[in-house]
Amino acid sequence: MTDAASNFEFERLLSDALHPVDPPPDLATRMETAFASIAELAAAELSNWADELSESEVDALRDPRNWVRPVVAVAAGTVAGGALVLLELRRRRRPSGLRASAESLLKDLRPD
Amino acid sequence: MSDAKPELDRQFEELYRAHLRDVYSYAYYRVGNHHDAEDLTEQAFLQAYRHFERALAESNGRPLRPWLIRIAHNLASNYHRDRGRRPETALDVVEPPSHPHATERVVEGREELRRVLAHLDGLPDDRREALIMRFSLGMSNREIARALGRTDGATKVLIHRAIKQLEESMGEE
Repeated sequence: MTDAASNFEFERLLSDALHPVDPPPDLATRMETAFASIAELAAAELSNWADELSESEVDALRDPRNWVRPVVAVAAGTVAGGALVLLELRRRRRPSGLRASAESLLKDLRPD
Repeated sequence: MSDAKPELDRQFEELYRAHLRDVYSYAYYRVGNHHDAEDLTEQAFLQAYRHFERALAESNGRPLRPWLIRIAHNLASNYHRDRGRRPETALDVVEPPSHPHATERVVEGREELRRVLAHLDGLPDDRREALIMRFSLGMSNREIARALGRTDGATKVLIHRAIKQLEESMGEE
């Protein structure tokens, strides 16, 4: 057998040994449900947050001079959220379930 | 702004549907069992969801599969670092694909595939990971380079050496 043919044969053997593995069907269902829940909850929380602002607060937010405090608040929230995520990651010795991860993700998405 | 999020979610769903099998396969060959592969796949997609908007913006239209596999790759490395060991059971659980051969040839084929996996397990991590990306996921050198954070040239050499080492180690038996 030539070198090229032998290489081709060996690579075919590798492809067979490392054939793609299908995920269990319930994994796909679980993940799709989790993503849908995250998207819905995040949208609902944002909508509640917007509803809670009074008319005058919304008017005030249109003035760029009033953007500094929200920007600082968002930055502080992001840093705090990042620190929480870091602590959570350090605490976990191994990946936990989808539910815990989804809750952690939601915490990050939630406006303070 | 309100239209952007559903569109982003739709794009993420597309990415997820297109690459769930890739991420799961990669996770499976890295951790060696279905339970941890499921966990790792879930974690990978949740992390991807968290950073999707930024990844999309920075991708300049390039495919996001290498980015996804890089996330799975980092999670698998953390998994092994936390446990201080390599997979133990992949060879026992992975069933080779069926071929339309006679029964005895199928049995012989299975033994040979198990032998390949056993020797694959003896390769250095980076060589083993590159071979999983190439032969299980069918990734190009360029995609593997992006996933591993290497140059195209270095990746080509890595794969070439990995195949050679595997071939030699099997030949020594």
